[in-house]
Amino acid sequence: MMKLLPFSYAVRNLYRDRTRLLQTLGGGALVVFLVMGAYALNDGMRETLRASGSPDNIILLGAGSEESMQRSEVSEQAAGIAEAGVAGVYARLGTRAVSPEIIHMAQLRMPGGVEARGLVRGVTPRALLVHDDVAVLQGDVPGPGEVMVGRLAWKRFGVPPADLVPGARIGFDDAELTVAGIFTAPGTVLESEIWMDINDLRTLAQRDTVSAVVLRLDGGEPEDVELFTRQRLDLELSAIGEKEYYDKLASFYAPVRTMTWITAALIAAAAVFGGLNTLYAAFAARVRETATLQAIGFRPAAVFFSFMQESLMTSLLGALIGAIAAVVLLADRIVYLSAGTFRLSFGPETLFAGMAAGILLGVIGSIPPSIRCLKPSLPQALRD
Amino acid sequence: MNRQNDVLIRCHGVTKQYRKGNNLVTPLESLDLDVPRGDFLALMGPSGSGKTTLLNLLSGIDQPTSGSIEMDGVKVHALNRRELAAWRAHHVGYIFQLYHLVPVLTAFENVELPLLLDDMPRRERQERVEAALSLVGLSDRMHHFPRELSGGQEQRVAIARALVADPPLLVADEPTGDLDRQAADAILGLLHELANGQGKTIVMVTHDPKAAEAAARLLHLEKGRLLEAVS
Ligand SMILES: Nc1ncnc2c1ncn2[C@@H]1O[C@H](COP(=O)(O)OP(=O)(O)OP(=O)(O)O)[C@@H](O)[C@H]1O
Ligand SMILES: [Mg+2]
Repeated sequence: MMKLLPFSYAVRNLYRDRTRLLQTLGGGALVVFLVMGAYALNDGMRETLRASGSPDNIILLGAGSEESMQRSEVSEQAAGIAEAGVAGVYARLGTRAVSPEIIHMAQLRMPGGVEARGLVRGVTPRALLVHDDVAVLQGDVPGPGEVMVGRLAWKRFGVPPADLVPGARIGFDDAELTVAGIFTAPGTVLESEIWMDINDLRTLAQRDTVSAVVLRLDGGEPEDVELFTRQRLDLELSAIGEKEYYDKLASFYAPVRTMTWITAALIAAAAVFGGLNTLYAAFAARVRETATLQAIGFRPAAVFFSFMQESLMTSLLGALIGAIAAVVLLADRIVYLSAGTFRLSFGPETLFAGMAAGILLGVIGSIPPSIRCLKPSLPQALRD
Repeated sequence: MNRQNDVLIRCHGVTKQYRKGNNLVTPLESLDLDVPRGDFLALMGPSGSGKTTLLNLLSGIDQPTSGSIEMDGVKVHALNRRELAAWRAHHVGYIFQLYHLVPVLTAFENVELPLLLDDMPRRERQERVEAALSLVGLSDRMHHFPRELSGGQEQRVAIARALVADPPLLVADEPTGDLDRQAADAILGLLHELANGQGKTIVMVTHDPKAAEAAARLLHLEKGRLLEAVS
């Protein structure tokens, strides 16, 4: 078996240069932080968008606007016609789950005077029949002059949670609306929306159409809805499964996710490059010392192994710091994109991915400097 | 068996060449040298005459371009790198001008290094390190780091490290070159004692005539060739 250098040599080499230690720890931590952040964002987006669609729901959108509810325009009559024309729609207490909705990006005045933009959804009480993830926590579905706020809307609109409670007043153009209720819709994009009466929103948004009609099927088939849109070509509708809609949205966000990764990779590369540089300098300063160890009889591989131990400790510690920082600073953070609000989620895989990236980079990054340090011949290394 | 005149190192036709760009440098050429066991040999010569090169060959840190070096019956020139490293660990102690102690290890730990290459119980290691440090007069500095020691003390730690594994040969490259007279004399006295008292064979490169006096024999190296001085 190869004789190794004492472990204390690796440990004490760690502290040899505080600046270097801090730099490599910082670099490692940064890489892990970024990898975990990017990973968590991707995860959060995927999760949220996946949770946001119900397999029983079909959305009727204006033909040609299938990928964006916000841009879609659907005739006011469409909901009533669909209710009568589509078979197998879910119903409760005689009310059929056909929900006309307006999705509108609005500039609102929050109670503290803060102006903020966010998604407002104009609904009727039937919205609760189709969005079965939504549960009213406090108060009630908004009537005229009222709004119901999502549990996380305060984050989206940048106000303290206490500002968005029943009784609070929100300004929308000339109108003053009263918060009448709070709803939750765990894990979906809806939770950061503000819901209001569809007629109010139609007036405020100055439109005479709705954005979409959402139907909840019970026994009916998506094909039935499809057929309906073809029978009523005059309505210019297009039917899409709610799940599909959000899946498409997710793929629409693929470039955003790619950008996140690229950004993370670029910063990480810079960190690795910087770390590599300091390691080159640090190990280069040990050329004569490690040559002495070899002159004594230690094999170059033993020196290499000690360097490996040293950088494994650094990168492990750096990765730990980065991971803790990521969890403390980023966990449950909300990211706002126009499609909705995503919660950064840290699962074991995220942690694993981050730690693995950090440790791998640390270990692989230390190979070139180690080789460079061991490269000169012994007589050469000993003389200078 | 204690034959004073039996030969420890036998060099025959040793040539060392280096390639420097397009030029071929020949620091040593067809060199013959026998070093008897227990000899204390001083090697002098102008800068660039190949003194360090010769020490490196004798100690198995480098290998000759041609010629043979035998030590205790081992053909050192024919060993591969790995065999050479193992051989060095048991047969040679190297003492450098600038001590080359490992700065992050204490005197004790520095001296212990060569023993880690053997399967030696901890207890025995400790005894031998303490014995070596006591021989060089540094029992009270065992747990000091090199930066807490004077140059002379550092060199004594280096000597303890060179002899702790009990190799027959010690090579020293200007061991007093960086020390003041007093510290230098102490080191020379120590080397003298190791040769005479402990039967170590020592080959020492020096520029210092006084150091050369401490040795039993003086050789001059001139342009890659040896000239024996009359002593
Ligand atoms: N690795 C090497 N590559 C090329 N040339 C070398 C190498 N090592 C030594 N030399 C050359 O060999 C010659 C002898 O060098 P060496 O170091 O043995 O001299 P020295 O007698 O120890 O000198 P000094 O008294 O300055 O230490 C010099 O010309 C030197 O430049
Ligand atoms: Mg020299």
